[in-house]
Amino acid sequence: MNKSKWLLVSLVLAMVFVLAACGGKENNDASSTPSASAPAATESASAPASEEAPAEEYLPEEGAKLVVWYSASEKALVDEAAKLYKEKYGIDIEYQDVGPDKSIEKMITDGPAGVGADVFLAVHDRLGSAVQAGVVLPNDLHGEESTANNSDKSVEALTIDGQLYGYPMSVETTAVFYNKDLFPDTNGEAPKDWNGVIEFAKKFNDAKAQKYAYMWEVGNGYWSWGFFGGYGGYVFGKDGTDPADIGLNNAGSVEAAKFFGSLKNLILPIKAADIKADIKTSLFNEGKLAMNVSGPWQVGEFKKSVANLGVMEYPTLPNGKPMMPFSGVKGFLVNANTKYPIAAKLFAELISSEALQAKNFELFGSLPSNKNVAASATVSGDPFASVFLKQFDNSTPMPKIAEMAGFWGTHEAALSSLWNDGADAQTTMDDWAKKVKDSNAAAQ
Amino acid sequence: MKQNSVAAGWLSVLCAGLGQWYNKQYSKGLLFVLIHATGVYLISTTLLTKIKGLITLGDQGQHLEKVGKIFKNVPGDHSIFMMIYGVLSVIIVALYIVFYILNIRDAVAVGRKRDSGSAVKGLNNDIFPWALLALPIIGVLFFTIMPIVFTSLLAFTNYASPNHIPPKNLVDWVGFDTFHKLFNMNVWADTFTGVLTWTIIWAVLATVTCYFGGILVALLINQQGIKLKGFWRMLFIIPYAIPQFVSLLIMRNMLNEKFGPINQYFRYFGLEGLPWLNDPFWAKVSVIVVNMWIGIPVSMVLVMGILTTIPKDLYEAADVDGASAWMKFRNITMPYVLFATAPILITQFAGNINSFNVIFLLTSGNPATMKYNNAGQTDLLVTWLYKLTLDFNQYNIAATVAILLFLIIAVMSVLLYSRTRSFKEEDMIQ
Repeated sequence: MNKSKWLLVSLVLAMVFVLAACGGKENNDASSTPSASAPAATESASAPASEEAPAEEYLPEEGAKLVVWYSASEKALVDEAAKLYKEKYGIDIEYQDVGPDKSIEKMITDGPAGVGADVFLAVHDRLGSAVQAGVVLPNDLHGEESTANNSDKSVEALTIDGQLYGYPMSVETTAVFYNKDLFPDTNGEAPKDWNGVIEFAKKFNDAKAQKYAYMWEVGNGYWSWGFFGGYGGYVFGKDGTDPADIGLNNAGSVEAAKFFGSLKNLILPIKAADIKADIKTSLFNEGKLAMNVSGPWQVGEFKKSVANLGVMEYPTLPNGKPMMPFSGVKGFLVNANTKYPIAAKLFAELISSEALQAKNFELFGSLPSNKNVAASATVSGDPFASVFLKQFDNSTPMPKIAEMAGFWGTHEAALSSLWNDGADAQTTMDDWAKKVKDSNAAAQ
Repeated sequence: MKQNSVAAGWLSVLCAGLGQWYNKQYSKGLLFVLIHATGVYLISTTLLTKIKGLITLGDQGQHLEKVGKIFKNVPGDHSIFMMIYGVLSVIIVALYIVFYILNIRDAVAVGRKRDSGSAVKGLNNDIFPWALLALPIIGVLFFTIMPIVFTSLLAFTNYASPNHIPPKNLVDWVGFDTFHKLFNMNVWADTFTGVLTWTIIWAVLATVTCYFGGILVALLINQQGIKLKGFWRMLFIIPYAIPQFVSLLIMRNMLNEKFGPINQYFRYFGLEGLPWLNDPFWAKVSVIVVNMWIGIPVSMVLVMGILTTIPKDLYEAADVDGASAWMKFRNITMPYVLFATAPILITQFAGNINSFNVIFLLTSGNPATMKYNNAGQTDLLVTWLYKLTLDFNQYNIAATVAILLFLIIAVMSVLLYSRTRSFKEEDMIQ
C-alpha cells in the first residue's frame, strides 16, 4: 500500500513537470516557430510590393538576419558578399559550414523545423528532391536577370517544369589533365583520340613500376559516364526528366559498354574498386600517370606538383564523337520556410552576381556560369578554365529528378561487372536498366 | 463503517482530488485538483487535436501560391512533426489516465484507513526521493520510449523518397505494406535475406574467432617460460588502443589489390596476391580477419583477469593426479573462463550483429552487386540501414529493418543467456 502511494506521488510530480513543459511548448508553437510566423512576415512584406506592382524596389524585411550555408574552404566568398550586403541593406549574415553536396539533404530534414539556412549553395542534381519536398522558393524576383545573364545550360539545370528555382553560380565538369613531360615524342601533346591513347598506353604502361597512361575512377558513374553519353546513351529520356524512359540499354549505351569493358585490358589493367582518388592523385604527382581525369578543383594542387601541366577535353571516341561527361551546376537556393524571403532572395541575387562570380573565379578558380564573366579576358585567357568551359559545352548535366537515386544506387555494381569481369555488355546494361526501374518501383 | 472509502472513491471519480479533500488531505487534494484541471484543459484544447493528427497525418501539404510576381509559401501539415507531437500527446494522456486511476485507488485506500480508525498522514517529508525519481521517469518516457515508439511507427507509413517526403507531400499510414514489400517484393526480399544471412554468419564467426583467439593469446602469454610478458601484452593491446577510424582506413589501403603493400609483398615472393576486397568471398575473409585483429585484445585482457582468479591448488591437485596439460585446460581453465565470460560473450554477439565500424570503414559494404538493392556483398543489416536512411531516404524500409533487427537480437540474447550456466548455476562460484 505504501508502495502504490509513493508511485502515485512520483507520478503526480511527473505529471506536473510534463504538463508544465507541454504548456510551455504550446506557447512556443504559436509565437516563434517559422511555420506560424513566416506567412505573416511574407504578407506584410509582399503586400506593399504587389500594390505598386511595376516598381522594382523590393526591400528586405524589417529586422531580417540571414543564415547562409557554404563550404568552409570557400568561406571567403561569403565574407565578401556579406560585406557588400551589409553596406547596402545593413543586414548581418551568419555563415554556417554546410557544403553544396549535402545542403539539400539537410534542408529537407532541417528546413521545415525552422533551423535551416535562408540561403544555401547546392548542386543542381538534387534540386528535384528539394522541389518535390517543397523546401525551396522559386527565383521569381530576379528570374529574368538570372536567365539573361547566365549560360543556357546552367539556367536549364536549375529549372524544373519551366520554373527557375536557383540563382546560377558556377559550373563544374571533368576533363583530362596531362603531364607534358611524359609525351616527348609528340612535343608534349597528349593524344586527342582513344586510338592514340591506346597506342600510347602500349608503350607507356608498366604494371611493375606502376606506370599508367590514363586513369579515372572507373567504378563510379560520375566519372565513367562520358563514354555512355558520347555514344548516345542516356539515363532518363527528355533531357533527364522522364523516369519512364530509361536509356541505359539503348543501342548507344550497349556500344559504349562494350568499348568501356574492352579498355581494361588495353589501357588500365586494374580492378574498379582499387582505383581511388588519392592513389590516382599521388601517381599523377609522382609522374607515374600520364593522363589523369579530374575536375577544375584540382588545378591548383596539380600546378604545384607537375612542372609541365596541361589540360584537354576528353579524347574523341572511336565513333568520332566527343565524350559527354556528367556536369554539375552550382546555384544558390532560397529556403521555402525562411522568415525573410525577400532579404534572402536579394542576398542570393547579390552573391551570384557578375562581380562575385568573377571574385569566385579569382579566389578559387570556380568556373562562372555568368556569360560575361566566362567571356572576360581573365577566364577565357586562362589555359585551364577555358578548357573546362569548352568541355562543359560537351557535357550532360546530371539528371535532377529524384529517380536518379536508382541510378546512383546501382552504378557501381554495373560498372564493376563490366570492368572487372568483362561481363556481356547487352546483358549487363539490360540488367542495369531493370535494376533502376525496380528500385524506383520499390521506392513508391 | 465503509462509508468513507466509498464516498471518497466516488468523489475522486467525479474529479481527481475531491476524494482526498473529503479525506481531509487538503494540500494533496488541491494538487490533484490542479493537475486534473490542467489535464482536462490541455486535452480539450490541444492534445486531442494532436492525437487526431497522429491518426490522419495531415490532409494538406505545404505549397506555393503566386501573388503577383512573388511566390508565397503556404505552410501545411508536416506529417512527421504531427506524428512526433501525436506520440507525445498519447504519452501525456496515458500518464494522465494512470494518474486518474491511482488517484481513485488512493482515495479509496485512505478512506479504508479512516474506516478502520487509523490516523491519516498528509503529504510528508518522505516525498523527497520520489520527487527525484520523477525526473528519471520523465527522462525514460521522452528520451527512451518516445523515440522507440516513433521509429516503430515509421515502419507502418510510406515515408520514403521520392514521393512521400514532407512538408510538400504527406505521409500516410499503410499498415503492414512495408513488411509485405520487404518479404515479398523481389528486390527487397532478395536483399533482406542475403544481408540477414551474412549478418548472422558474420556475428557468429566474429564472436567465436575473437573469443577463442583471445583465450589462446592470453594462455600463451601466461605460459611459464614465456619471457617479456609485459611486452607481449602491450603489443597485443595496441590494435585496441588505436582509434578504429584510423586503423581501419589504413587497413583498407593495405588490402588494395593493386597498390596495397600486402599484395606487393606477395609479388615480391613471386605470388600474385589475393583479391582481398574485390572478391565477395575474400572480402568476407578480410573483414573477419581484420576484426580479429581489433577484437582479440578485448577478450585477451578479459581472460587474463579471469586466469588470475583460478585457485592454484586446483592445478596442484591436478598435477598430483598426473593430469596432462590438455586435461587441466579442458577441466579447470575452460569451465572457469566460460562461466565468467558467457554473459559477455552474448553481449559481444549482439554487438557484432550491429558491428558498424569494421564493415563501414573497411569495405563500405562492397564489393557492389547487382543482386541487392542499395547494399553490397559485405553489408550487415546495420550498414544497410545506414545507406537506406542517409543515402537513399527509404525511411519506412529502414524502420522495418530496424524493428526486425531488434527482434532478432532480443530473441537471440534471451535464448542464449537463459541457456548459459552462469544463469542456471548462479551460485557455482561464491
